[in-house]
Amino acid sequence: MEALAGLTYYTIAISVVILGIIVIAVAYIIIRFRKKSGEEGEPYQDFGSLKLEITWTLIPVAIVAVLFLLTCSTMRAVDPPSADREPDIIIIGHQWWWEIVYPESGVITANEVHLPAGRQLLARLESIDVIHDFWVPELGRKIDLVPGHPNYMWIVAGEPGVYLGACAEFCGAQHANMRIRVIAQTEEEFSEWLTRQARIPETPSTGIAAEGAKIFQEIACMNCHTIAGTPAAARVGPSLTYLATRDTIGAGVLTNTPDNIAKWLKNPAKYKPGSLMPNMKLTDEQVNAIVAYLEALDE
Amino acid sequence: MANNRMMIKFFIASESIFFLMLILAYVNFHNSVTTGPTAKSSLDPYVTGIFSLFLLASSFTVWLAGKSLKNRNRSGLKLWLFATIVLGAVFIFGQAREWFGLFGRGITISSNVFGSTFFTLTGFHGFHVCVGLVMLSVLLGLTLAGDFKGPKSDAVECVSLYWHFVDGVWIVVFSVIYLWAFL
Amino acid sequence: MSSRIPIVPESTEPLPGLGENTGLLSWVASIDHKQIGIMYLIGTLIYFVIGGLEALMIRTQLAKPGSELLSPEMYNQLFTMHGTTMIFFVVMPFLIGVGVYLVPLMIGARDMAFPRLNALSFWLFAFGGVLLYYSFFTQSGAPDVGWFAYAPLSEKPFSLNNGPTYWALGLLVSGIGSLISGLNNVVTILTMRTPGMTMRRLPLFVWMMLVTSFLLVFVIPIITSAFVMLLLDRLLGATFFTPAFGGSAILWQHFFWGFGHPEVYILVLPAFGIVSEVIPVFSRKPIYGYEFVAGSTVAIGLLSLGVWAHHMFAVGLGNVANAYFSLASMLIAIPTGIKVLNWVSTMWGGRINFAVPMLFATAFIIEFVVGGLSGVAIASVPIDWVVTDSYFIVAHFHYTIFGGSLFAIFAGVYYWFPKFTGRMMSETLGKWHFWLTVVGFNMTFFIQHFLGVMGMPRRTYTYHDMPYWGSMNLISTIGAFIIALSVLVFIWNIIVSLRKGEPAGDNPWKAWTLEWATTSPPPVYNFKLVPPVRGRRPLWDLAHPDSPDEPDAKIVTEGPNG
Ligand code: HEA
Ligand code: HEA
Ligand code: HEC
Ligand code: CUA
Ligand SMILES: [Cu+2]
Repeated sequence: MEALAGLTYYTIAISVVILGIIVIAVAYIIIRFRKKSGEEGEPYQDFGSLKLEITWTLIPVAIVAVLFLLTCSTMRAVDPPSADREPDIIIIGHQWWWEIVYPESGVITANEVHLPAGRQLLARLESIDVIHDFWVPELGRKIDLVPGHPNYMWIVAGEPGVYLGACAEFCGAQHANMRIRVIAQTEEEFSEWLTRQARIPETPSTGIAAEGAKIFQEIACMNCHTIAGTPAAARVGPSLTYLATRDTIGAGVLTNTPDNIAKWLKNPAKYKPGSLMPNMKLTDEQVNAIVAYLEALDE
Repeated sequence: MANNRMMIKFFIASESIFFLMLILAYVNFHNSVTTGPTAKSSLDPYVTGIFSLFLLASSFTVWLAGKSLKNRNRSGLKLWLFATIVLGAVFIFGQAREWFGLFGRGITISSNVFGSTFFTLTGFHGFHVCVGLVMLSVLLGLTLAGDFKGPKSDAVECVSLYWHFVDGVWIVVFSVIYLWAFL
Repeated sequence: MSSRIPIVPESTEPLPGLGENTGLLSWVASIDHKQIGIMYLIGTLIYFVIGGLEALMIRTQLAKPGSELLSPEMYNQLFTMHGTTMIFFVVMPFLIGVGVYLVPLMIGARDMAFPRLNALSFWLFAFGGVLLYYSFFTQSGAPDVGWFAYAPLSEKPFSLNNGPTYWALGLLVSGIGSLISGLNNVVTILTMRTPGMTMRRLPLFVWMMLVTSFLLVFVIPIITSAFVMLLLDRLLGATFFTPAFGGSAILWQHFFWGFGHPEVYILVLPAFGIVSEVIPVFSRKPIYGYEFVAGSTVAIGLLSLGVWAHHMFAVGLGNVANAYFSLASMLIAIPTGIKVLNWVSTMWGGRINFAVPMLFATAFIIEFVVGGLSGVAIASVPIDWVVTDSYFIVAHFHYTIFGGSLFAIFAGVYYWFPKFTGRMMSETLGKWHFWLTVVGFNMTFFIQHFLGVMGMPRRTYTYHDMPYWGSMNLISTIGAFIIALSVLVFIWNIIVSLRKGEPAGDNPWKAWTLEWATTSPPPVYNFKLVPPVRGRRPLWDLAHPDSPDEPDAKIVTEGPNG
């Protein structure tokens, strides 16, 4: 990041100086060389000067050389080689949400990347459909998620906190609502989070939540979603195992409250027109039951 | 006029880029076919090689046609134009035979990237040969009707340049598709 | 000194060409390069209004966060059509059209080398545009995959509608038109020059058209082949660009940008040419460093073929490839800088008449340098990793295309309008147009640099209410409406001037190139008598027999090709 800041400052400085020279020259010309009333005839006919041409070829050559060397060194600093090791995180782009996999622990979540603050993790980025692009401005560089061409990137977040980002490569109707949150935690919080996510939840056996569990298995939800510990294991939509622990739903279109989940279930297209989650035509009771079930998984 | 000959040369340069891109697409996928047909598994270099000889020969005959024109030899011009058309047509027949053979085995443009690149490349080349045949036929018709008294004709020169180009493209295509796979 | 240089005898017969023969058929069936040129210009003005209205709808939608004016599908169609229209149906055909009109005049020829092909080019352009816009009226709507239609989004599985098919077909057709036009120009410039018009005396506009035409000849086939492959994928189930079936998403990007980058220089080189004609005439000095301005054009043309992957730094091509493309892109700053500094030096020491063409040309220099410098910044890989696909890029290319090409185009319209029509454009309305454009343009696009750095991705139909985003976007939107106002003034100026503009005479600006040596508008046969060419400024030589540009030059009567 520091290298990048240096490069940026140099580039801005060079640009401002060049632009300044041109602007000042033009301003001077406008004042000094505009045709004044009473001036007659043609000015001195000047065809050029080889010396000047050489000067203003060589100076830009030097500037470009400096910029290029800075570019190379910064590129190496920002994007060090990944040393052929297994990634810590796999980020998979879907039309219009993110699947996050922690291969070591087997945890799968969506739309939120949890990180231990200060530790550098290697991410592998893939896409199952079209090209997406992972961009969290405060964490620096962005990188494309290209189908058939996995990419690698180091991510590190210095301080604990929430860093907001979005998909930057146009990927269809809901490209605008493909947001991502990077949540940097202290090492303890992070490992606590990871252990909790890796646990297999108990399916509620009583009450309205049990009702919801049944509905979830019966109507096609499980064709698209995963809930660990149940037959639902599809990855067309986000894993719902610990949905209740996430901040948002629909990759950032709604904050995650039971109310909003209910609204989403009734009509996803209302909040995310074009979203690939169909309107399942649920009754209010069914919705309430499913919401209770999804919330109960986190207990 | 110099214009026409200059035009056809730049046109050929432009067309070369077009074919270059199709060839690059083929080369790009050469090693990436994992399932389905490949050049090795579906093509017959010998038969296509023999048909290619006809196309090569036609470059020679069109050159002879040009020579006849220069010598104001009208009957020679007719003969060699006709021979060029026949040789080109035989080549196209060979291409059609190969394509239908592949279709018969279920290999089409949508089979995999080999199918896509192979049919696109050979298809566009075949299309250019057909365009050349049409132009040669027009020339022959005009000759029969009494045109082209020689010793010069932009039309004949341009068409023959174009024909050499189509022939040259085939040499590259044949090398890339057939020789690369079988040598 | 009189404002006319008396080489063409005062014409007593009514002017043919424009004005007299105005039946529709005389236009449709025309193979006269001037009529075809005018048709290009009218066509592009119409497309400019359409593309601009699309931009206004985009900006209206973005005026505030979370706006729900447009559905996402509609928004995506709008920016795709806006970008496609502006590039392929406004700037590119405008420059081709101006070239078609002026090149034969500037080299003292009667017409293009192939007048019928010239007409064919125009009609292919017109037909391609109709095909593209027809998609709006089909059930599936217009293409909605962005102006570079990245695969696999543009492929069948992800775009079931026919939009991308129309897009590829329309551009394929109009692209072939441009290719033919390029061929025609190359041959015309190389073979049809009047005696004495050597390559070293060619007007700079013609030089830049020549290089542009070479680019057209060599890069249009790249995109043509890519369109063909995309169409085969979509229509016959081929698998070139569908990774799920073994194809490659990145191959499309290489093909598109292999064309797309040279394309941006196709958009800007003729504009450089216009500026290189306007600045000397209004500064009353010859162009400074002619050889360097012409030579740097060739350098830009060559370099532009080898930098395409700077649009793909985020794709993951590896740092070696990235470094190469970064260096190649930065190198283009050098020949471009040579041009900029020569323009400034041309003005230096001049006696400058800041009429409207010169105002636009002067503003062009500054706006274009802003765009060029942001271009060099994003040619630096790590900076591009931060700002690519954000509004910073939108700002960059509007500064180069609008601040560059379009400003030059406006300069050219005001400069040559008297030649095209025989009437001057209104200076007062022109100044209004100029100032509104400058204010509106910078207001719309400068702030987008900051929006991009602050994290706003491009091509988003809506955005969250992040700090400052709303007000910054609102400023940009207001700027866009000021541009719209300026365009209305411009169109009004054209209409008013066509009807009652002051008669222009042959050479109202006292310019020096051959097109000013004939009547305005020129007769069908262009010249009764082409003045002798013994230097780069034939009309200067005529007006100043005592101080010609090349005192030792002999008068040649044999053409370069006998
Ligand atoms: C007229 C069109 C035009 C022109 C002329 C340019 C000119 C340049 N462009 Fe631009 N560009 C576009 C149109 C244009 N561009 C478009 C349309 C896109 C986006 C497409 C899309 O994604 O939709 C784009 C995108 C684009 C990118 C990709 C960004 C991304 O997607 O991430 C890059 C990256 O390198 C780039 C670089 C450059 C450079 C280095 C120049 C150089 O040629 C600039 C050279 C000029 C100068 C530098 C100024 C004058 C020079 C001096 C005064 C001398 C001294 C200066 C120095 C020594 C620095 N451009
Ligand atoms: C030549 C190129 C060119 C030109 C001139 C313009 C001109 C303008 N562009 Fe353009 N733009 C592009 C090329 C161009 N653009 C490209 C290539 C893209 C990328 C597309 C993509 O991502 O795929 C883009 C994208 C783009 C975006 C980003 C969209 C997004 O990423 O989501 C925006 C947003 O502000 C924008 C705005 C504008 C504006 C306000 C103008 C204005 O300057 C327009 C001015 C013109 C008018 C305003 C017309 C006025 C006419 C009238 C007022 C007539 C009224 C008539 C009646 C009422 C009858 N453009
Ligand atoms: C055809 C596949 C499909 C079916 C069937 C389906 N979903 Fe979804 N679901 C998705 C997709 C895709 C998303 C992600 C949408 C987005 O963010 O763009 C999603 C998102 C969600 C979310 C929000 C999750 C998040 O983290 O953003 C919830 C909750 C949800 N679905 C619940 C259900 C329930 C309950 C059912 C059954 C009644 C169901 N889904 C049926 C595909 C499906
Ligand atoms: Cu995913 Cu844009
Ligand atoms: Cu580029």
